[in-house]
Amino acid sequence: MTTDTDLVETLSAYLADRLGADGPVAIEDMERIAVGWSHETWLFDAVWNDGEPRRQGMCLRRDPGNALLREMSDLEEQYRVLTCLASTDVPAPKVFWFEPDPAVLGAPALIMEKVPGECPSPWRRAGREYYAAAAERGVLPESFTDALAAIHTADWQGVGLDFLGVPALGDDFARREIAKWQRLIEESGHPGHPILDDLIGWLDANAPSTDRLTLVHGAYRTGNVLIHDDRVSAVLDWELQVIGDPMYDVAYMLTELNREGTDLLSNVVPRELFFERYQTTTGIEIDEDRCRYYQLLYAMRSAAFWMSAAGLYADGRNNDLRLARTEWSVTVALERAAQELGY
Amino acid sequence: MTLPVHEQLRRLADTLRNDVGPAVADEYTRTQAFMSSVILQRLAAQVEHGPRHSSTEAAHTAALHTALAEVLAAAPPDVAQAQAEAATAGTVASLGPLIRALYGWGSDRAEVQQALTAIRPVLRADIDRRMEIAT
Repeated sequence: MTTDTDLVETLSAYLADRLGADGPVAIEDMERIAVGWSHETWLFDAVWNDGEPRRQGMCLRRDPGNALLREMSDLEEQYRVLTCLASTDVPAPKVFWFEPDPAVLGAPALIMEKVPGECPSPWRRAGREYYAAAAERGVLPESFTDALAAIHTADWQGVGLDFLGVPALGDDFARREIAKWQRLIEESGHPGHPILDDLIGWLDANAPSTDRLTLVHGAYRTGNVLIHDDRVSAVLDWELQVIGDPMYDVAYMLTELNREGTDLLSNVVPRELFFERYQTTTGIEIDEDRCRYYQLLYAMRSAAFWMSAAGLYADGRNNDLRLARTEWSVTVALERAAQELGY
Repeated sequence: MTLPVHEQLRRLADTLRNDVGPAVADEYTRTQAFMSSVILQRLAAQVEHGPRHSSTEAAHTAALHTALAEVLAAAPPDVAQAQAEAATAGTVASLGPLIRALYGWGSDRAEVQQALTAIRPVLRADIDRRMEIAT
């Protein structure tokens, strides 16, 4: 992996080539931001001249090779998704380049525009206060709902997102998700727990049927969107997207896990407003039974995440002690699963 | 005087949290110090409660298998084998293969539902014990 200084130099050379600049491209105000556990994220301004002076805010994401989701978090796939989304109403960053060769930028990397906005963490008090105040003003709850509606009404076939894989109508989507998270659990090398066997058995026996497929973000909540002037300026974290049942995202909106100490969905949207506006905008009726099923699926997914993280530490691929600590997060996820199963 | 191991671990955790961590300027390294403290606290709890948890686990699983022997008297061979192996192991972990075999037999069968109803309180008690350590 390159150092920060190396990165500035290699990035400057890379961009000069890509931008067709007359001279060197200056990298200004570069900072690494701590978002997510999957990729390194850097923000900077590129400044160059191609006959006219230019400045473009950019965001670089690099794959450290030991990401929480392992090979499931794929920067090339993110690049393709963002490219497809450019012609939809989904607020998303404009993507510039994907560089697969680790020799070029130190690791496979994605470069996209730096979108104006902020992304307060809903897990911190200041973030929760931010969202509560925005909810009072009333614009963000509507914008946050509309951005999800835009995802669910995007013409995913028309823009080429079917490369993500298209489940059959019926229970295929749920079964694919179960299989995906089972694979991560197996790769983690974690011994697991019988509660997980019970959960997976239950999920398999009760897989719901869906008769409508949409683009599904997979982690739509505050903390994964940028906000500018009380509106969603960009939906981020395109790592878990699938073509599937829109109730998968709606369940994530409804879950108590994404709203600490508040009735506001995802800390910002009043439940009645969400139901009314989402259903009217999308024409999709919210099925709370399916949402309850997907909340159990999220319990499995959480356990899989933490098992993967703990496994990365256990097998020596990553020495970050935050990963070692997740061994006990597995317990918390399983306790939640037991609750969801009714015991 | 010698400190019990769990107490020694707790003291180390306190030192990392209160003395070492705050003295580290680099953010990543400081976080690692705090994480070390959290992990040592968990390990201290594990060392302290482990023996009690193990004996409770053994008692719970023994009682469970007595009940399951009756519920699963007419179970197919793979379920019966998983149950026999779990009874021999006498651990909560060994219930995993049994649960998988039960679901494979058919989750809508009355015997399976009865068996799961018997197993789940044991799993609940186990995760409660683990939560004593994890939180």
